[in-house]
Amino acid sequence: MEVRELISKSPIRVFEDSLDGGLGKGNLGVLVSQRGLGKTACMVHLALDKILQDLNVVHVSFGANVEHIMNWYKEVFREITDFRSLEDAVDVYERIRTNRVMMNFSQENVSVENIIKSLETLIRQGSFKADAIFFDGYKLTVAAEEDVKKLKAFAKEMNVEVWFSVSPVRPDVSFDDYGVPNSMEPYKPIIDVLVGLHYNDERSRVIMTVVKNGDQKLPRPAGVSLDPKTMLIVE
Amino acid sequence: MADLSKMRNIGISAHIDSGKTTLSERILFYCNRIHAIHEVHGKDGVGATMDSMELERERGITIASAATSVNWNGYDINVIDTPGHVDFTVEVERSLRVLDGAILVLCSVGGVQSQSITVDKQMDRYHVPRIAFINKCDRTGANPLHVVEQMKEKLKLNAVLMDLPIGLEDKLEGVVDLLRMKAVYFDGPNGQILREEEVPQSMMDECLERRAMLIEAASDFDDKLMEMVLDGEEPPVDLIEKAVRKGTLELKFCPVFCGSAHKNKGVQVLLDGVCKYLPDPTEVENRALDLDDNEREVLLTADPDRPVVALAFKLEDGQYGQLTYIRVYEGTLKKGDELINTRTHRKFKVGRLIKMHASEMEDINQAGCGDIAALFGIDCASGDTFCGGKVNYAMTSMFVPNPVISLAIFPKDKKSQDNMSKAINRFTKEDPTFQCYVDPESNQTIIRGMGELHLDVYVERMRREYKCEVEVGKPEVAYRETITRRADFNYTHKKQTGGSGQYARVAGFMEPIVALPGATEEPKDYDFINEIKGGVIPTEYIPSCDKGFRTAMKKGPQLGFPIVGVALTINDGAYHPVDSSDMAFQTAAIGAFKEAFAKASPAILEPIMKVEIEGPSEFQGAIFGTVNQRRGMIISSTEDNGNCVVDAEVPLAEMFGYSTVLRSMTQGKAEYTMEVCRYAKVPQSIADDLKKQAAEKEKKK
Repeated sequence: MEVRELISKSPIRVFEDSLDGGLGKGNLGVLVSQRGLGKTACMVHLALDKILQDLNVVHVSFGANVEHIMNWYKEVFREITDFRSLEDAVDVYERIRTNRVMMNFSQENVSVENIIKSLETLIRQGSFKADAIFFDGYKLTVAAEEDVKKLKAFAKEMNVEVWFSVSPVRPDVSFDDYGVPNSMEPYKPIIDVLVGLHYNDERSRVIMTVVKNGDQKLPRPAGVSLDPKTMLIVE
Repeated sequence: MADLSKMRNIGISAHIDSGKTTLSERILFYCNRIHAIHEVHGKDGVGATMDSMELERERGITIASAATSVNWNGYDINVIDTPGHVDFTVEVERSLRVLDGAILVLCSVGGVQSQSITVDKQMDRYHVPRIAFINKCDRTGANPLHVVEQMKEKLKLNAVLMDLPIGLEDKLEGVVDLLRMKAVYFDGPNGQILREEEVPQSMMDECLERRAMLIEAASDFDDKLMEMVLDGEEPPVDLIEKAVRKGTLELKFCPVFCGSAHKNKGVQVLLDGVCKYLPDPTEVENRALDLDDNEREVLLTADPDRPVVALAFKLEDGQYGQLTYIRVYEGTLKKGDELINTRTHRKFKVGRLIKMHASEMEDINQAGCGDIAALFGIDCASGDTFCGGKVNYAMTSMFVPNPVISLAIFPKDKKSQDNMSKAINRFTKEDPTFQCYVDPESNQTIIRGMGELHLDVYVERMRREYKCEVEVGKPEVAYRETITRRADFNYTHKKQTGGSGQYARVAGFMEPIVALPGATEEPKDYDFINEIKGGVIPTEYIPSCDKGFRTAMKKGPQLGFPIVGVALTINDGAYHPVDSSDMAFQTAAIGAFKEAFAKASPAILEPIMKVEIEGPSEFQGAIFGTVNQRRGMIISSTEDNGNCVVDAEVPLAEMFGYSTVLRSMTQGKAEYTMEVCRYAKVPQSIADDLKKQAAEKEKKK
């Protein structure tokens, strides 16, 4: 199989269709759910899809072991590509190394300005032209709204697509039918796309729902869900 | 005979500059081995006692392990100080081979750094139980609790605090022993007077919480302790110690001590920990290969009455001749004993037997199991096994990495030439990663090693220790050549012009050996597959084909470097009943290889280094820039508390002189370490340049 075919057959195309072509550069997207539903795997899947398209991504993690996230990429790559039948599997795999930079911060000790500065430094001085940035585990629901606005302005200025995976920090939150906690409410006007993930008992799957996409009337199903075994996006 | 249960063979390993040598120095002082403390970069100009080589004292790094024996509260402790710089890891590996336990020194500011991970992996490889010492708690930014978390995360160690520092940074006063719940202070000008007090009230809650964590972690290793914990009873200290010891020996528990060697705090508590939790020689399994029984693995018992089995793990050339450091695994080695070097089968008599204390020595009459001693005037190489009686064992071979850098070296005059040979002869015996050969084409002496600093140190040692004036060429990277696609060959070697002729035909194909994505095992450098059917090449000539291919792989046609990653399959051929020979098939295989190699899209591979650069966050941009300018790839960047650590992969060829550049760009505030991580294809434009340079060099010859 050629990598082009792999990309075109990816369930992420269905997900992008539900967002009318995807998140788009300069925008903020959020995947939100309770803890333990598989957001990291889902995010790595989205990031790998970009890498396979030869786009550059920055994976920003908070507190997690960088090595651990790198292993996620290896695992997800293995799951989504049957590399034995993939042409140039070695070169394609090499793209994970060349097209991805991991950045790790402590959210408590590093301000959002510094995070933005580091990303800017990477893009400008490190000559890494990022197409998408994935913030994994950023405690968005306790961040200052101003900080989120700064991140949005940065996404616009740098013309990058920015995704967040978010779980509520405080335990006393309530979730709606789509897996969105009420603590997300203040940030809804700032973000461009909001996708909720919730577990559906009947279907034994994690269902993804597009709760916000620009000014559209929503929610609507994202057309994809997470496979309970691999935690990857499937149609 | 010494009580083996009171003997400890320990090493001290860590990241560069975490204070290993300072710690060793304090251990010597507290065990009354030295009477004054000299600092590594000390103002008194004496340098640390363990850094006995002049060069080490000057650079403030420890190059060769100095072994020394001390006594602490009735325990005999043999301490090996190991080098911290990654270029010298073979020394670390060699020391770990002979040790029963180790102290992993970590910096309370820098935490777990890349080399701590390397060293920890090495300890795992040799199953060395360890305890950790979080040093430099007096430094600004010290955070031992954070380091413990890093040990759990990055080193996957079950790290558990055994003591807690009282105060941090410039307020560091002492430590709280969590087992006995006592505050320990270190009085006197050198902290040698221990004063025990009650735990400060302000720390009580934290200490009780940490103590509970310690007992809970230890209870996994002792059922009785577990029962007492579940019943809410207060367990006795010795029961907890027993459980901690068991867990440590099983490599499932890592006791962590805190302090500051430089400020003389916490070292004595650590020494108690060495005696309590690290194994004695009888508690460690050591294996050897029986050379008389098809290299069958045999378990060595620390039995003093069995024939001697000892390993030479380090050589040093001193003013009295060659000094060989040995570790005795079995039997009792006595002065006057006759031993055999099982590699060379040479017999020798044990003359002078000594115990080393850094650069001073003490004559002894015998060395028992587990002892580390030194012999004089024995002709051997490091890694050799000495046996007594009729035993013919070899200790398992040690892992030796391949050198990645080489440089030509020229003596300035005749006297220097003689001394250079002597020096090289000794260094290559001492250090298997330092290699030397004479290039048959250019007739130049080439030395090879693990990095710029590694070779630099040896060249400097030639100058200082052997008074040998040498000039060195530009360092050269050890490239490799390979192919990127399959190519067929069908080659006939024919020479039938009078006399006995030569005839052989070899046909088949070559293809690249590719590692599957994510594979953990290294791919093979060479593979030979025989698919000959019907005897078109007679069986006796199949090894000749293999040999011919191997010969061809030794020197690639592009740059003259070895070829790797090629699988060769032969599936057809022809022979002549009279004119075919082993030589004819070897020549045909070489011809076939050359024919196919040119068609198989050859490429050049270069060593890629894993580089870890650490410095204040304000220099992150400068660091990214330096990586970027060097064809490097930023793998990750971690930022915390105004400090950043950048992990990158950079070709070795671009790393020459990096330390100077980094220092000047960051006002000397950033530092880096690197190690070989893999080989990767050289970009075409650079490959073309390299080929041009190689051709020019060839022309000059």
